[in-house]
Formats: sequence, C-alpha cells, structure tokens
Amino acid sequence: MEEMIIAILRSATPLIYVTLAGVIAQRAGIWHLGLEGLMIVGACGTILGIVLTGSVLYALLLACLFCILGSIIFWFVVEKLKANQIIAGLGLTGLGLGGTTLAVEAIFGTPAAVNAKFGLPKIGEVFGNIFGAFSGLSILVLLMPFVVFGMWVLICRTRLGLQITASGEHPFAARSVGVNPSRMRFIALMIGGVLCALGGAELAAGSLQIFAQNMTAGRGFMSFAAVVFGASHPIGAMLAASFFAIVGALGIRAQLLFGEDVPHDLLLGLPYIATIFGIWFSAKMRGGAKAVTGFGELRDQ
Amino acid sequence: MIKSDENIFECKNITVSFGAVHALQDVSVAFERGKIHAVVGQNGAGKTTFARVVAGLIRPSAGEMTVNNKTMPGGDVKQARKAGVELVHQSFALPPSFTVAEAMQFGAGSGKIYSRKSLKRFWQKHLDKLEVKVKSSERIKNLPVETQQAVEIARALISDAKFLILDEPTAVLSPETTQKLFVRVRQLKQSGVTVILVLHKLKEVLDIADTVTVLRGGKLVQSPLNCEGIDREKLSAMIIGENANQNLASSNKGSLRPETQQDAVLDVQSLSTIKDVEGAALDDVSLTIAAGEIVGVAGIEGNGQRTLVRAIADMVNLKSGEIHLNGQNMTQMSHLERRSKGLRIIPFERNVEGLSSSSSLWENWSIRKYLQKPTFSFIKPKQDRAACDSGLKKWDVRYTNVDQLAGSLSGGNAQKVILSREMDADAKLIIAAQPTRGLDIGATDFVWHSLRQARDNGSGILFISSDLDEIFDISDRIIVFLSGQLVGEFTPPFDIKEIGAAMIGADL
Repeated sequence: MEEMIIAILRSATPLIYVTLAGVIAQRAGIWHLGLEGLMIVGACGTILGIVLTGSVLYALLLACLFCILGSIIFWFVVEKLKANQIIAGLGLTGLGLGGTTLAVEAIFGTPAAVNAKFGLPKIGEVFGNIFGAFSGLSILVLLMPFVVFGMWVLICRTRLGLQITASGEHPFAARSVGVNPSRMRFIALMIGGVLCALGGAELAAGSLQIFAQNMTAGRGFMSFAAVVFGASHPIGAMLAASFFAIVGALGIRAQLLFGEDVPHDLLLGLPYIATIFGIWFSAKMRGGAKAVTGFGELRDQ
Repeated sequence: MIKSDENIFECKNITVSFGAVHALQDVSVAFERGKIHAVVGQNGAGKTTFARVVAGLIRPSAGEMTVNNKTMPGGDVKQARKAGVELVHQSFALPPSFTVAEAMQFGAGSGKIYSRKSLKRFWQKHLDKLEVKVKSSERIKNLPVETQQAVEIARALISDAKFLILDEPTAVLSPETTQKLFVRVRQLKQSGVTVILVLHKLKEVLDIADTVTVLRGGKLVQSPLNCEGIDREKLSAMIIGENANQNLASSNKGSLRPETQQDAVLDVQSLSTIKDVEGAALDDVSLTIAAGEIVGVAGIEGNGQRTLVRAIADMVNLKSGEIHLNGQNMTQMSHLERRSKGLRIIPFERNVEGLSSSSSLWENWSIRKYLQKPTFSFIKPKQDRAACDSGLKKWDVRYTNVDQLAGSLSGGNAQKVILSREMDADAKLIIAAQPTRGLDIGATDFVWHSLRQARDNGSGILFISSDLDEIFDISDRIIVFLSGQLVGEFTPPFDIKEIGAAMIGADL
C-alpha cells in the first residue's frame, strides 16, 4: 500500500502543480492549452540547469525564468495581438516541445536524453528519516499541499483572487471598478509560469534525473482536463489531477497483475481514458455549458 | 448661470469618437450638487457613452472634466472613483458566480486575507444599513434583476460616493420595482448624493428628476433644465427633434378595432402545462383571440406570461388542454408546423431568442422562409440578400449592408429586423412579447404603429408587456395573469385600479 501511495504522489505532484497554473489562468479568462509546452520547458530547464550549473537552486531559477518568458510571450500574443487563445496555447505547446529538443541538440550535439548527476533534494536528505518510506520523495512533493493551500487562499480568500476571477468572468465588471483585466491576466500567467516550472522540475528531477524529448507525454493536457473537471477550483482541480494519477498508478498495478492477459497499451492509456470520462462527467454534472445571456454587448469590452 | 462651486460636475467640450463616428460631440454641461438630474435622448444619442466617460471607463478624445472643482483625467476609473463618482450599469456589472459579499469585496475593501464568514458579516452590515434586503452569501446569478441592481447601487455607495450615475436603471425593472428604485433614489438625494439618471421614459423623468438634460445624436440639445414647467410634449419634441408631436399623436389613433369581427385566430382551451425550471406553469387557461384584435397581457413578471408564449410555440410540455389556430387543432403540431400555419413570434429576448447576433442580417431575415421548407431545401444567398435588402428597406431599418452581423445593430433596429421578418402577409397570429422593452420613444412608436397595422390587416395579436400604460394604449382587450392562471379579463374603458388589483390578486 505504501509503495502504491508513493507511486501516486510521484505521478500526481507534477500534474497538480501544472493544474494549479491552469486553474489560475482559467480564472483570469484564459484557456491555457500551453501548459504542456511550459511543463516541458520547466523539465528541460531544470535538467539543463543542473548539468550546466551544478546547483539545484540555479536550475529551478532557470526553469522558472524560461517558463515566465514563455508565459510573457503567451500573454503578449493573446492580450496585445488579440490572437485566439486556443491557437496561441497550442502554439506555445509546440514551441515548448520543439524548443526543448532544439536546445538539447544545440548544447549537446545530439537529441538523446540528458542525464543529470543528481535530482531535486529528497525529503530524507533535508529532514532526516522522520517520514519513513516517504523519505525518497522530492521536497517538491512535500511542498505541494502547501502550494495548493496557498493558491486556494490566493484565489478564494483575497481580493486579488476575486479581481482575477472577475477579469475572467466578466471583464467589464472588473474594468468598471478600476481593475485592469489585462494586467490581472498577466499576473495570473506569471504565477502559472512559476507553477509550470515546478511541475516540470518535479517530473524530470523529482524521482528521475533525466530529460528526454516529449517526456511530458500529454500531462499538460491532462492537467488542463483536470482544470475543467475540477471546475477551476484549486482544491477541486487538485482532486481531479490526483484522480488521474491514481488511475495511472492502478494501470501500472494492473500490468503487473495481469501480465500479458490485458494489452499493455490499454493500461497505459487508462489515465487518458479517465480524462475523457472526467470531462464528460463534469459537463453532465453542471448541465453542460449554459449560454450566458444579458452581457453580450459588454463581454468583450 | 449657477455659481460654479454649487456644481459637483462640470465638463467642457467633451468629444468621443469611435473611428469616424462621433458618439459625443462638444458636450459641455454642469450638474448642480444635491439634485436628481435626468439625462434623456433616443437610442444612440450618446447617453451611455456620456455616463461611461464621466465614470472614467471611456477616455474622451477631447475636452476636460472637473469633479468638485478638481480636474479629473479622462479614462481613469480609479481616479473617478476616488473623486466619488460611481456608475451603475444598465446590464449590471457584477460577476454572476460571485456571492454578493464577494462582488462587494472585489472592487473595494482591503487586500487582506478574509474568511468567508467575516466577509459575509462585514458586507451584510453595509447592505442592512442601506436597507437592501438580500443575504450577502447569495450568488449574484440567483438574484432577480431588481435585487442585482440594488446590490450594484450598494456597491457604488461603499466608498462614500458623492456623485452616482445610474445608466437606464428602469429598463430592466417592472413598474412596481421602478417605484421602489425611485424611493431609494430620493433617499440618496436626502443624504446628499447627487444622482444622474439616464432614462428612456418621459413619464419617469417627470416623476423623479429635478432637472433634465437632453442629448440628440451625440450633441447636447438642452443643458440641465428645471423640470418644473415642462410637459411630455415639450420634452419629446426636444428628444426627437422636429415632428415629434406628429409621432406621438398617433399613439391613440385607431384603437377601435374594425367592425368586421372574424372567427377566432387563436383558441386556447383549458391549457395546463407541466412545471419546469423556466417559469410558472399554466393552470387551466382558456383564451381566444379574434382576427383583427390585440389582446394585451398584463401581470407581474413571472406569473406565466412566458409560459403562455412557450406553450403556444410548442416549447413546453402540456399537461392538458388544446390549442387551436384558425380553427385547426395544433396541440400536437411542432413549432415549425405551427409557424407554417401562420404563427409568428416576436420573442422576449430579442438578442438571444430573436436574432443570431453572430449571423448576417440576410441569414436572420430569410430564416422564416427556410423554417417553413423541408430540411434539405437549398439556400439561395443571392436571392435572399436581395429580398432581405428590400424587405428591411420597407421597414426603415438602418444598416450598412445585409452581410452585416445582426449583433451590430442597435436595439431599435434589431427589433425592426424581427418585426419585418415576423409580420409578413401570412402572419395569422402574432405574439409580441415585450416588443418595446429598452427601445426609445421613436422606435417604440414604430412598433406600436406596426402592430396596429397588422391588426388592421386581420392578424390576431397577443401583446405582452410589463408597462401598463402601453398595454392600455394599444390593447382591444386585456387579460391578467397571476400565478399561471388567467384571473381577469377587461374591455375598454380600462380601469387601472381594477387591473392593478387583479395583478396582485387583491379583491376590490
């Protein structure tokens, strides 16, 4: 059981960080399909940082820097150039996936996976053995519940959170009390950038110490699904992301259990299938997307 | 002229341009402190633009403003709010998923972390003080419009506003709630707040305002004029410009229906519907409308008027009863079949139910024809464009070309598009649901005139409105709805007391 929980925490943590980034963007009115791209940039930045500087702290800073840069580009394209969010988000994902491959090849001369000598500090290394079997997890896993709580406070219990939400839900309402929706989206995307960097770092350097091409394998999109499934509430989205991770862990369990009886691709695909059902279920729960009436003329202002 | 220190707000030569269009042109006006000022004008006269300029939402391209003798930079909401200027919007600017307390907090209050309870308690106090009867934990989307409005007014008064602008506050209110709003406005005046009301209806202006300011086509026609000593005619002359009297005079003409009474166009027999989320269920409603008759439906909103329309249009499940159109039982017919038998609807929400805002005018206009054809009939864009063009011209719709999106039209013009589509020669029964809501007097008059003409051509008309004056003016017969039941039927001369009593279920 313990190892099961460890496996779940391992796969859930990166998802949750990225999901929170999606939540705050969604609140601000941005469908953030660039999560996948930012996540892999975070992963790549962390490993490159460790390899090139030999310091985890610098590596994390580097990852944050790149993700924030990506977020600024995204914000600029969406807010200033008025591009379609979905297209721009997918573009950002493409940029992240391609850009990281290019960066690895430019630095090391080969697109092969990059190995780092060490990863993120483990819980055991920092706090000693007080967490027992969980000591092998990275400190970002330990930090995760606090970040979730912090995001919940920020979004649901501060004025800034209300202003961000208002900017997404009814920009005109925000504008008419003197809040600049565009600036709120900037803030939301910057916070999201940092969260994506952490998610990517945990993915590449949490339990592994490696960066490989396309290693996010759709986790960014899965996070986005968790945002929708969780009704863009930080806690709800965290639960949704955990649910996907649990299904993934069960899939691996099932592989060990059934061996060759069940096609292994099907089991690997379980989290993705769960994602689709999750979205369908949440749409059912909320009675589908309702047309917003009465604000038509004001929406875009 | 008034001494300048008695003016809370002054502006000089304000001009706002969107591209080549001047929404406001050289407007200079001063508002005296502690009074209720009305700003009136037709749709597109620049009233809302003016309100938004004052509140700092729109930066004027030229001109200057002073509040309390201090210059105020244009286009800066924060500065405007700091100076005590607050604007309450026509479509309320409150995020629908927020609780009342959150809606208050996000625009005001401190940046501190709060708990849900403390937030609730804090804002409840504020609401109670202003006698707004609402729980601060309720969500905005669950509140009726008048409460939303009260909440927004309360929000505007958080920061000790000195100068409150209400942009068409009565457009969404029923007559009773309008009166309540006016009571509130008078209270505000008592407490020293200067109020600007952007209004549509002349009666309301004369009811409440101390002074009136008239805009026409983005220009100032009349700077604050004392309301004493002006009457409806004079005011409407200022608003419409020339030939206003002519227009208004028509409002009572021809209200006698043609002598040749024909058979019933609509015959509804003990109709009951199954209750659903959208409104009160009908309970044993029987009703006939003769050809060439306008039947007005009065009643406080939400008492089954909408359901009646939906029942006639086949959009609600019936429990029992029958609907006949022109003597034909159409109880089992689909909406499209009913349309092809001559049912026409001018729906409640013209921008949602009446038109597809993101489709072109010709598509919106020719849909009537295609709805009566088989599913796989061909669309002939060229023909339709031409037909639409001549059709809309006949109805005096102002548009640039037929490929323009329907959403780009002003309220009055959008309504005319619907009228021209629904009031064709084959129309037997026309349901006009709130056809004049939010329209200016010019457009309102046009709608009335069209309805009368359709009546004279032999259509039966079901006219639903929350404006009693309007119903009295236009109807040949009035029926009153209360809780899904038809509780009264009145013939001219109408007595407002009797009908009002029927509306609230009081016995006389």
